Amino acid sequence: MAEVLRPQMMGARVSRVEDPRLLSGQARFLDDIQVPGMLEVAFVRSPHAAAKIVAIDADAARRLPGVYAVITHQECPIVLWNQESYKVGQPALADGDVAYVGQPVVAVIAENRYIAEDAAELVRVEYQTLTPVWDMRDAIHEKPRRVHEQAENVFFQKSRQTPGFDEAFAAAPHHLKASFRTNRQTAVTMEPRGTAAMLDAASGRLTVYASTQSPHRMREDICTLLDIPEHLVRVIVPEVGGGFGMKATCYPEDVVVAHAAVKYRKPVKWISDRLESLESDVHARDDIHDVEVAFDDDGKIIAIKDHLMADGGAYPAYPWSGAEGETGLAARVLTGPYDIPYLATEIDCTYSNKTPLGAYRGVWGPIASFIQEGLVDRVARHLKLDPADVRRRNMIRKEQFPYRNAARMIYDEGSYLESMEEALKLIGYEDFRHRQAQLRQQGRYVGVGISVFVEPTAMASSEAGEVGYESCTIRIEPSGRVTAALGLGPSGQGHETTMAQILSDQLGVPLEDIVVLHGDTDSAPYGGGTGGSRSGPIGGGAALVAGRQMREKLIKYAAHLLEASEDDIELGDGKAWVTGVPDRSLTIRTIAQTAYLDVSKIPEGMPIGLEVTGRYLPKRPVTFSNGTHIAEVEVDVHTGVVKVTRYAVANDCGRVINPTIVEGQIHGGVAQGIGAAVLEALRYDEDGQLVTTSLLDYLLPESTDVPRIQVQHIETPSDGEGGIKGMAEGSLIAAPAAVACAISDALAPFGGMVDTLPVTPEMVLKMVQNS
Amino acid sequence: MADERVEVVLRVNGRDHRLEVSPRWTLSDVLRHQVGLTGTHVGCEQGVCGACTVLLDGEPVRSCLIFGVQAEGHNVTTVEGITPESGLSPLQEAFRKHHALQCGYCTPGMLLTAQALLDREPNPSEETIREALTGNLCRCTGYQFIVDAVMAARGQGRGA
Repeated sequence: MAEVLRPQMMGARVSRVEDPRLLSGQARFLDDIQVPGMLEVAFVRSPHAAAKIVAIDADAARRLPGVYAVITHQECPIVLWNQESYKVGQPALADGDVAYVGQPVVAVIAENRYIAEDAAELVRVEYQTLTPVWDMRDAIHEKPRRVHEQAENVFFQKSRQTPGFDEAFAAAPHHLKASFRTNRQTAVTMEPRGTAAMLDAASGRLTVYASTQSPHRMREDICTLLDIPEHLVRVIVPEVGGGFGMKATCYPEDVVVAHAAVKYRKPVKWISDRLESLESDVHARDDIHDVEVAFDDDGKIIAIKDHLMADGGAYPAYPWSGAEGETGLAARVLTGPYDIPYLATEIDCTYSNKTPLGAYRGVWGPIASFIQEGLVDRVARHLKLDPADVRRRNMIRKEQFPYRNAARMIYDEGSYLESMEEALKLIGYEDFRHRQAQLRQQGRYVGVGISVFVEPTAMASSEAGEVGYESCTIRIEPSGRVTAALGLGPSGQGHETTMAQILSDQLGVPLEDIVVLHGDTDSAPYGGGTGGSRSGPIGGGAALVAGRQMREKLIKYAAHLLEASEDDIELGDGKAWVTGVPDRSLTIRTIAQTAYLDVSKIPEGMPIGLEVTGRYLPKRPVTFSNGTHIAEVEVDVHTGVVKVTRYAVANDCGRVINPTIVEGQIHGGVAQGIGAAVLEALRYDEDGQLVTTSLLDYLLPESTDVPRIQVQHIETPSDGEGGIKGMAEGSLIAAPAAVACAISDALAPFGGMVDTLPVTPEMVLKMVQNS
Repeated sequence: MADERVEVVLRVNGRDHRLEVSPRWTLSDVLRHQVGLTGTHVGCEQGVCGACTVLLDGEPVRSCLIFGVQAEGHNVTTVEGITPESGLSPLQEAFRKHHALQCGYCTPGMLLTAQALLDREPNPSEETIREALTGNLCRCTGYQFIVDAVMAARGQGRGA
């Protein structure tokens, strides 16, 4: 058992060890990797949504001084993800046809990016255009045509129904129908994607610098696709400027860069520009849900029926289809925190001539919460009940845990009702209704939206991959300082700090004596990486397991060297001592020196040195975080502009490692949620052209768009290691629904309810005018 | 056309650099790849995100929207230039204390915009701070802790 130490670093508001290098401009991101002779790549991308490639003429490009090579599918015949189930895989460079705007067709490799771009403009590609498939409902019915001749458009289908659904649904006294639409969005990391690859001259091994969330997964992908054995590939993840699920994918450009480095025996780099990001980073959230809800006179929801549809884009993202991920999990957690006994879901995921759909923070959740909370509010409005009361009536109660939902997901214990009551208090709900009525009389429309969420975290499989465990290696150096390594791929979450906090408690050494390495497959033990809110609970669990193993070693050493019983040894402040006799002590440094340099004194049976690798595989396939977000908005019914004015969060992610970091994650997710609710949409025109190709068209929340967010923590520990639950996605799962519900509430006098995200000013004006 | 070079002298963080640059290279590229100051980050090359913000004679500019040659005769300040020889500036310290950064990619631009504001107006209101930061996008923090950090750094000068 983990012993409690003083002072506890776990749970403390520790400043991050990552910060000084990031604040002083010393951190090294992907584009900061520069070696002599490095070549740079520019891609020629498809300008068409759908076309046959008739001819490619790259002669002029090849002749341009400074151009090293121009390659097409012929020179790089690699196809991503050719699994049976999907029947299609994306060629790293287009092979005979193109299926979305922005698809890589030709790679130009030159002395620098400027020359590569010049040469890319000289490449002539002759296309014969085809009718684009861009409407989801049409595509599901194979209209206007198949995206890929060899495959039906619908590539993933699944139906599931709680036994007894039909009878229960039919017997209910009330029914409502609604269609919910979430438009395409994408992560927009501030650091665009990028890859650099080079052969190590001495060993011949391939080093790939990748801006990715899963170092080992990326290594596996590169090895598989390039047919190189794993021990000859090293993946290094430098500082990553945001991931949000989008950087969990292995992209065509990654493969082309690695291929070129091997083929030409030259260091090669590609950095995405923002236009490329918006058209080629995986998109997300392109979903339609046709829903029916059945409920009784008191607002108790009895059954939900949902036809879930998602537009997966032209190809399944490698190695994880976002469309399947979004719908598959949404269908299982659609009832959220509510005790709704019957659920029937039917999923259709279709190909289209759009960018592949992948992961974006929250994946299934922002869509499912939007529906789940939208339904509760519709029920409340239909029955003229208070939305908070309807939630109270439907909420899963404490005594029901572990709770099995209508799709057979098991929820571990949470604080569902408690979180809502806390959030209602934070926002001042009682007083709000009074204020709302007064303001309405002045022609001002304010509303609150309540979003109670569940967040399945630390799942056995996610966009980060299928590795359900994480590993942590700890090496105490001869100096007594600690080097730890994990296979995580942080992109701003502060793992170097949080993992060190956990280790500091276990090893009894100060935080500053610990360095946490990650993101290098040569130093890190095999692991799943970062995604699906797994790094805290599973990575942290591995740190706890390894930390405990090392702690036992230190105690054995101390007992032996101090001639005391192991039971009497305590660790802390870089020392070991005998309980109650603080003078009988030695430093961790002395123990380490013994282990490495004075080996005759090593306790019998113990190996030389101080090194362990601990692994942690949670017993449960998932642990659920939960909480409640409440947004207050003011809607200008003359301009259609929505302003989020106040925001409250009660959040329960089990035992908190660092409250400040948790709050930072919540704030960021709320901001992204406000973007999802009122700003962000990737728009295609009828020719299948992406028309939102800059950050002036795809709008991100700015500092004046996000209000102050009040956060209250509740801690319901998981029964996994450390009681930790994941928490990175909950805020973005809950926030879009909170804002959408608030807009519906503000516009209640006009009768309509929000059914599409994002809510644009045009939509608001329409809701006002339609009344 | 492409690779004609001209000689410029750029004054960056108080030091003169004699450089051979192509007239079409942006200031951000020149700073990063010729001067070797990679603290300036490029986020959009469209002048929207603000990640590449540097100070030109004390005023925040998008270094992706001006050419390196245009900076000749001006004082350029990058994040490296507001960092003391040892430790951090009061503003940087406040960013750390208030957890005003996560991935850190937008941070250098954010610091320079905020520093220019504080240089100009030592005691700005929260509203003024939010207004000043609208040109710097952050995808991680939701801005609240950044605003808190700038508020905490009010009246402390640049330090060092």
